[in-house]
Amino acid sequence: MSWDGSAARQTGALAWRSVVTTVRLPQAWVPALFFPLVLMAIFTASFGGAPGNIPGFPPVRSFLDFAVSGAIVQGVLIGGTTAGAAFATDIEGGFFDRLVASPVSRTAILTGRLGASVVLGIAQALLFVGIAELFGADVAGGPGGFMVLLLITALFAVAVGGLGVFLALRFGSAEAVQGMFPLFFALLFFSSAFFPRETMTGWFRTAADWNPISHLVEAMRDEVVGGAEPGTVIAGVAIALTLAVLAVGASALAFRRRLREAP
Amino acid sequence: MVAIPSRVVTALAVETRDLVREYKGGVRAVNGVSLAVASGEVYGFLGPNGAGKSTTVRMLCTLLRPTAGWAKVAGHDVARDAAAVRRSIGVALQDAAIDPYMTGRELLRLQGVLHGLSRQGCRDRADVLLDRVGLVDAADRRVGTYSGGMRRRLDLALALVHEPVVLFLDEPTTGLDPLSRVTLWDEVRRLNTELGTTVFLTTQYLEEADQLVDRLGIIDDGRIVAEGTPRELKAQVGDPTLAVTPVRAEDRARAREVLSGFGPEVLGAHGCVAVRLAAGAEGLAAVVRAMDDAGVAVREIDLAEPSLDDVFLAATGRHLEGDEAPAPAGPAPAASR
Repeated sequence: MSWDGSAARQTGALAWRSVVTTVRLPQAWVPALFFPLVLMAIFTASFGGAPGNIPGFPPVRSFLDFAVSGAIVQGVLIGGTTAGAAFATDIEGGFFDRLVASPVSRTAILTGRLGASVVLGIAQALLFVGIAELFGADVAGGPGGFMVLLLITALFAVAVGGLGVFLALRFGSAEAVQGMFPLFFALLFFSSAFFPRETMTGWFRTAADWNPISHLVEAMRDEVVGGAEPGTVIAGVAIALTLAVLAVGASALAFRRRLREAP
Repeated sequence: MVAIPSRVVTALAVETRDLVREYKGGVRAVNGVSLAVASGEVYGFLGPNGAGKSTTVRMLCTLLRPTAGWAKVAGHDVARDAAAVRRSIGVALQDAAIDPYMTGRELLRLQGVLHGLSRQGCRDRADVLLDRVGLVDAADRRVGTYSGGMRRRLDLALALVHEPVVLFLDEPTTGLDPLSRVTLWDEVRRLNTELGTTVFLTTQYLEEADQLVDRLGIIDDGRIVAEGTPRELKAQVGDPTLAVTPVRAEDRARAREVLSGFGPEVLGAHGCVAVRLAAGAEGLAAVVRAMDDAGVAVREIDLAEPSLDDVFLAATGRHLEGDEAPAPAGPAPAASR
């Protein structure tokens, strides 16, 4: 795999194509916006201004402050599934073959798709934070905290997008990739994405402790809610980075394996 | 880096020797194909589904590694110098899905960027190609609204963005209606005559092979079983068929008697008497005179060259399946099934 100026331009072009085709297909992005927002609204309406009365809940001005990070992570998970399914469709439909039979940089085929995941993930985070702020939430961590939020979002988008691409390369079928979606959802609910770990007990608590999503969300959430500990933030960024590296590595290997037939 | 290949001047655009592709389990989809396509030629692979056409094309397009033998495209080895092959070829593969949510112009420009054209170069090239394939009016519509024929023409244009020296078309008109099919043939022919692009295509349509290709390889079971120009191949099969339809049905026995002197009788359409004309097409005048001398009033006389289906039958012992091409006007070739 080679990287040069033309590979960067090809990445940009392929990322642009992925973003455009996603944006023009409402089925591809409406769920990624709709479900997290609905969930955020339901939780906020259910708990209102009362989370302080729940034992173990951190002091927050509004439940929205607490919920927005979980919504972003949920949106990224849905978006990654969509990206993986789209990549599988490219393989099934022949677009992938057309790329492979052309002088396009092999790396750009991967980075283009992942770049689109980052763009869409960041756009989604901006939208969710914007909406939350409209209803009274605020990022307590200020611009720095906001950057941490976006950094983790971007890294996690690469991780989930990479996992989607990996599944697409291994199975070559959009349906197979979409079949993984419930698993992602389970992973999300067995984490502290919607409730603080302090409110959990028993095996559920153990699962959430070990779930990397818990640590990502907590790092983001502390920047919004306020009082972010450097340790929590560093752990969140490090875990997001690790997941991203693992997913990209796995997808690169699967890519190489699939290209074994193409000299 | 601008990746427009300089026009490589080689005598042979495509050359393979004993090319083999074996899949797991020992199945040989392509079993020793040797062929040579000259620069500027339109070469066609005719064969049924599963004959090995697409597998061969995938090897020539660097999408599949040969398991034995070798292949060169535009002078470059497909296994050792795949990158050079990719710069020289344009590829429109069977049923390649095109993004339905993008417009024809966007897709052409994207293809331009992927091939390293400048921004302005992408714009210009898209305009030229849209014009060439007759999609100027539909250029800014989403591909989802295109007809099957328009999509195939866009597919063709996408394969031409970088001015390839060899163009691979895998079943370019499968599933198209007759009119769209003819339009696409015209495009391919124009490309070949105006730009000198070598075309390597596969088809399962007899008519397409007849109309479009300079030279034809009939492929069956992973092997080339006959090769030549359509005319040569038909000539090898044998003499033309002459069918005479007398005005009066009761003259048929008499007509049969006269014709028996010109060649062996073959099964003809209802109401006519048909023979293989041993003297070839030149024997027609003598037949007409003999009919006249015998007092047989003739309503219709039909001289038909052997069809490519006859060629396929002679080479494989089977008729070509899956030929859904509408029968051409004029003397109908033997039924395809």
